[in-house]
Amino acid sequence: MNKELEHKFVTELQDNQNIVHKVCTLYTNDRDSHKDLFQEITIQLWKAYPKFRGDAKFSTWMYRVALNTAITLYRKNKRRIDTADYESIIFKIKADEYDETEELQLKLMYKAVKQLNDVDKALVFLYLEDKNYSEISETLGITEVNARVKMNRIKTKLRTILNP
Amino acid sequence: MTDELELLKKDWQKKEFNVPKLSYEEIHKMIWKKSSSIVKWILIISILEFVLPQFLYFIPGMKDNMQVYKNLGVAKYFTGLSVVYYMVVLYFIYQFYLRFKEISVLDNSKNLMRKIIKTRKTVKHYVIFSLATCILFFIAMIIAIFLNNDIISAFPDMKNQLQNFSPDKLKVTLIISLAIVGVIFICLLSLFYFLIYGLLLKRLKKNYSELRHLAI
Repeated sequence: MNKELEHKFVTELQDNQNIVHKVCTLYTNDRDSHKDLFQEITIQLWKAYPKFRGDAKFSTWMYRVALNTAITLYRKNKRRIDTADYESIIFKIKADEYDETEELQLKLMYKAVKQLNDVDKALVFLYLEDKNYSEISETLGITEVNARVKMNRIKTKLRTILNP
Repeated sequence: MTDELELLKKDWQKKEFNVPKLSYEEIHKMIWKKSSSIVKWILIISILEFVLPQFLYFIPGMKDNMQVYKNLGVAKYFTGLSVVYYMVVLYFIYQFYLRFKEISVLDNSKNLMRKIIKTRKTVKHYVIFSLATCILFFIAMIIAIFLNNDIISAFPDMKNQLQNFSPDKLKVTLIISLAIVGVIFICLLSLFYFLIYGLLLKRLKKNYSELRHLAI
């Protein structure tokens, strides 16, 4: 039984690992921390897995555990090496897919998002993942109105970062 | 800005981040690794905080002190207070256990943070209680020495060395040294404790207040 559960879990996580990678990318600044956070999220997901009843999609369920681990449970690594290198590797944009202005704009946007605080990042992350405000508010434990207000403030913050 | 964010959203959703995909075996290995989450740290540190003060009684000098308490006439209070003290400690441990069990990664972020802070607060109250007990202990000793009429016979082992002291002088010396040791001891303990508490919860508290201020 346990082996079966293990197999099911690892397969599902392997299929959906991109979500966890995205969270790790937002919240860490180098490859080692990225791996560290990925591991912690995996452990937390696995520990909570027996409570996953399958009435929600596995990926939906993952968002909450992954974000909670990133903003609450994970103890940040103090090291901050090769930040620039790491970002340029992670956010590498294929040149043939974009025109130059758009590429530059995206790069700046990613950089600006990385400068936000933990909670703002969580909101932006869910927004980018196309979650609606009711899902965002449920995941973070705030009201829908507050989620909207907060999102507007974040947009202003991003604008300030981009055009100082 | 909205347009830019929409542009980012489109890019984000089709993006396969430039990180090596983990294989089945790599993920499988990960699930058996030990967690190093803040909750785990809180559990370890809290248990240490519950257990360590109890070891003070096993320091050899502490046992000899029992005789001194007897001679000073405070032993009977000491035993009575110990019973009360341990009952309160057990109550704190039980509260800690209840709150610790409530912590779930499946909760929403705000609740999760609130419950972690609440759990840690139980230990904080326990430590304040322990420190207060320490202070009371030192004060009680000082009063006992002050009221004692036969101070030299309270320390039978050191009778020879104490012969040259006048009882009054001995009393004053003892009271002053106890006060100094007490203050240093309690300051060190509080510094040590609040440093750990502060460092451990700094980021969590910041995020929690960020989420809480939203709700106002």
